[in-house]
Amino acid sequence: MKERAIELTVNGITLNITVPVHQTLLDTLREQLGFTDTKYGCGSGECGACTVIIDGEDSLCSCMALASTLNGRNITTAAGLAEFGLNAVQQAFIDQTAVQCGFCTPGMVTKSTSLLRKNPNPTEEEIRKELEGNICRCTGYESIVKAVQQAAESFPEANSQWDNAVELKAGANS
Amino acid sequence: MSQFSVIGKSVPKVDAYEKVTGQPIYAADLKMQGMLYGKIIRCMDYAHARVTRLDFSEALKMAGVIKILGPEDVTQNHYNTGACDEMVSDKVGKLLGDLRDQSIFTQHVRHQGDAICGVIAISEEIAERAAAKVIVEYEPLQVFMTPSEAEKAGTPQLHPEKPNNMAFQLPEAMFPGNSYGWGDADEAMKEADIIVEDDFYVNKQKQCQMEPHAYIAQVDGRGRLHCWSSGQMPKITHQKIARLFDMPMSLVKIHSTTIGGGFGARLGIIAEPETCALAMAVPGRPVKVQTLREEDWIISESRHAGDYWMRLGFKNDGTPVACQARFKANTGAYFTHASGVPFTTGAWLSGMYKFGALGYQGESYFSNQAPAGAYRGYGNPQTNFVLEQLIDRALTQLDIDPVKWRLDWHKGVGDDGWCFGVKYPSCQLTECLKQGAAAIEWDKKIAAFKNQSGVKRRGIGVSVMNHTSGATPMLLEHTVTTVMMNEDGSAVVSTACSDLGQGSHTVLNQIAAEALGLDMHEVILKTGDSDANGFDIGSHASRTTYVGGNSILEACDDVKKQLMERASRHLDTAVENLEFAGKTIFTKNNPENSITTAEICRLGVYNYMDPETGEPEGAPGQIFGFSSHFSKHNSPPFGACFVELEIDTETGEVKLIELVHTHDIGRTLHPAMAEGQMVGGAQQGIGMALTEEIYYDDQGKALNSSFTDYKMYGSSDMPKMKVILVEDPDPHGPYGAKSVGEAGLTSPVGAIANAVYNALGIQFKEAPITPEKVLKAIKENGLNFA
Repeated sequence: MKERAIELTVNGITLNITVPVHQTLLDTLREQLGFTDTKYGCGSGECGACTVIIDGEDSLCSCMALASTLNGRNITTAAGLAEFGLNAVQQAFIDQTAVQCGFCTPGMVTKSTSLLRKNPNPTEEEIRKELEGNICRCTGYESIVKAVQQAAESFPEANSQWDNAVELKAGANS
Repeated sequence: MSQFSVIGKSVPKVDAYEKVTGQPIYAADLKMQGMLYGKIIRCMDYAHARVTRLDFSEALKMAGVIKILGPEDVTQNHYNTGACDEMVSDKVGKLLGDLRDQSIFTQHVRHQGDAICGVIAISEEIAERAAAKVIVEYEPLQVFMTPSEAEKAGTPQLHPEKPNNMAFQLPEAMFPGNSYGWGDADEAMKEADIIVEDDFYVNKQKQCQMEPHAYIAQVDGRGRLHCWSSGQMPKITHQKIARLFDMPMSLVKIHSTTIGGGFGARLGIIAEPETCALAMAVPGRPVKVQTLREEDWIISESRHAGDYWMRLGFKNDGTPVACQARFKANTGAYFTHASGVPFTTGAWLSGMYKFGALGYQGESYFSNQAPAGAYRGYGNPQTNFVLEQLIDRALTQLDIDPVKWRLDWHKGVGDDGWCFGVKYPSCQLTECLKQGAAAIEWDKKIAAFKNQSGVKRRGIGVSVMNHTSGATPMLLEHTVTTVMMNEDGSAVVSTACSDLGQGSHTVLNQIAAEALGLDMHEVILKTGDSDANGFDIGSHASRTTYVGGNSILEACDDVKKQLMERASRHLDTAVENLEFAGKTIFTKNNPENSITTAEICRLGVYNYMDPETGEPEGAPGQIFGFSSHFSKHNSPPFGACFVELEIDTETGEVKLIELVHTHDIGRTLHPAMAEGQMVGGAQQGIGMALTEEIYYDDQGKALNSSFTDYKMYGSSDMPKMKVILVEDPDPHGPYGAKSVGEAGLTSPVGAIANAVYNALGIQFKEAPITPEKVLKAIKENGLNFA
């Protein structure tokens, strides 16, 4: 079994780990590092339950990326967003009762945070479009869209509650 | 100001903080010392076959493989993954012909995905690689997939005890003529001025809960079997697992993990038997079985597809004189809910309108499809698709407005409900219809849409529904609650009621807090532990708030009674002179003469002797409230759904414009969560009407077991939604509440079909109404919209 040594920053902590070359980031996070807040829903990038933020802004289905290709990258999971208290999206999900079974929630929260970091004032259509890759079978999406709208109002990022202290680093390949 | 402190308020869900940070532990998140991994080998190549050879030798040579178990290495006892067999008496079960026909591993594959054997290895990856090296050879058998094929002469018999593959029909002993209803429908039909009649097909829909099924089992040093399961009926799981392995219930413990959605999929048991069997082969070691999404799709029960014939007769003035129907449900490879669903499908039918006479025949047939079972609605959406369309077909002929007719003829307070012995105690359907019609501007649009031109056509439709609050009087309705008062007056409420995500733990917490006069955080629910929790039949039939809530109220009343008796002693006055004001009890004529409930509770626990008097300082003993509650009542919720849509007659695309969901759920205990149930239910109802179906090839292999190939409505697809809750406290529900869990799914199905009918003048006899079917129907009807 081929392995590769990588440096991976997860929720602000830089780790030097060895991963099998065929291991997905999802498995690295869940099985190797214990970040079970990132969920396995389908394993094929269809449901978005495993969404994480990469390098502070973009989102990624962690089941669709091999950890060995992510040397030097910076990963934030739903738990990482709450390191210094809930972020605005998480608080809004509570306020809007946008949480039912909770299984899609970590992916929804990371995806929505990624959206707002890139586009702080999205229209409802933009929010719905962005969330198309994240399936929720409980809510019918209405409360989730409202939560993202509420979170957008508590932007900008200057709000200390909004962002955590994740350090952004250039990846080894960039 | 509200008369309540927490009831009726959208308090934060008790599990919301943890869920937004991803902290709850679902079964797949558990990792234990010395944990092994199980992989169930399932037959994926055939839907009907006999295993002719099973060879583990190559797989066993792999490093890291501990054991491989085949059909003969596990208990030969049979079981039923459904739960109906636990909910009726043996006598009724016998009359219904309920079967326990499933085995842990089988040599007779009856559907794609049937379990053959199981590997135990030190890692998930090794287990999967070893599974690939297990050699299984099959002799393919004739495949049959539908009720009509099942009953044909010459078709193989799937279960010898059920001739002609007929799993169930309404038993003669309980339903003369194998028919449910009232009056003589044949005779009554002769009085009709017009008759509408047709054959429909209702589709096989999948719950698609987001958490794939995962389990852990372990036998401890004392020989106790532990199972970590996300089932929605932990006490039924407890009973079923103990019986399956011939163990006393004391030697089985069910640990409920956080449930990532259910919608019926987790009703009864799923792969707990396989997981427990693997763990029993390696005592001491926990064994984890994580199912893949594709596997999850096939092993947990889906909605019953089926053939549904219906005939309705009316007088020219709209009077509904008779209804006749026959539903032939496709139960799939095993019995599961073969008796439950064909019954309730007719029950919802009978509960809706004031037909002069009604005769319904419900049947189930085996086939080589994956088993059907419970899915939110449990027969109700099937009936809604058929009944509501046929009603509108008749109303077109009679030239009667669909809203007006429903206002005139829906059942209401005092009428016989969906099940014999149930009279509706409350009903606000009339108000729901009126408010919904106003919200969607029914009169204006129904007139406007009569004169349309162009390739895009608008349509508007309405549908009504009734459901249930628990399963009284058909099935056992029983929940046990204990309330332990801490020595500071806060409370721990112990109940086995599970929360699938719908928020029942929040609502039960609200009910207890309100009853005891405590704040939300002063009440903690103790759930999910089969050692600690008393009996609860489980989360099904939209019962948890209604039955579980009443059980909690009863247990809280027991606590209050004890508190009052002790206060009477402390305050030296009769109980009748006292008033319970939450955290304080005072005498009515002298409010200053009071004692806090915290003080009563503290003195009960720290019951010291007063050195001066030599007497105890207060009444001794920690206060526990108890309830073993059997629900005598059933208060069905009602709803009316209105849909406006637009059909592109060139592409066949049906685009939903607006959905107005009106419901009578009694008093709303938590408005935001109730709304969430309605909108979320609508998402699934829309799917049933328009996009969702499990497709098979002619050899019974599923074609679309993935989220890419099985189309659900996504965030951008959902229409504008409006939810209207017409409040009318029910006389029996806790604080006047009726059920809400399943209600939201049903009525959108018929409303969408009727809106399509309104737009095109075509009715679709097969759900879902896909663009292909729309285009085909336009062509076949020779319509030209250009």
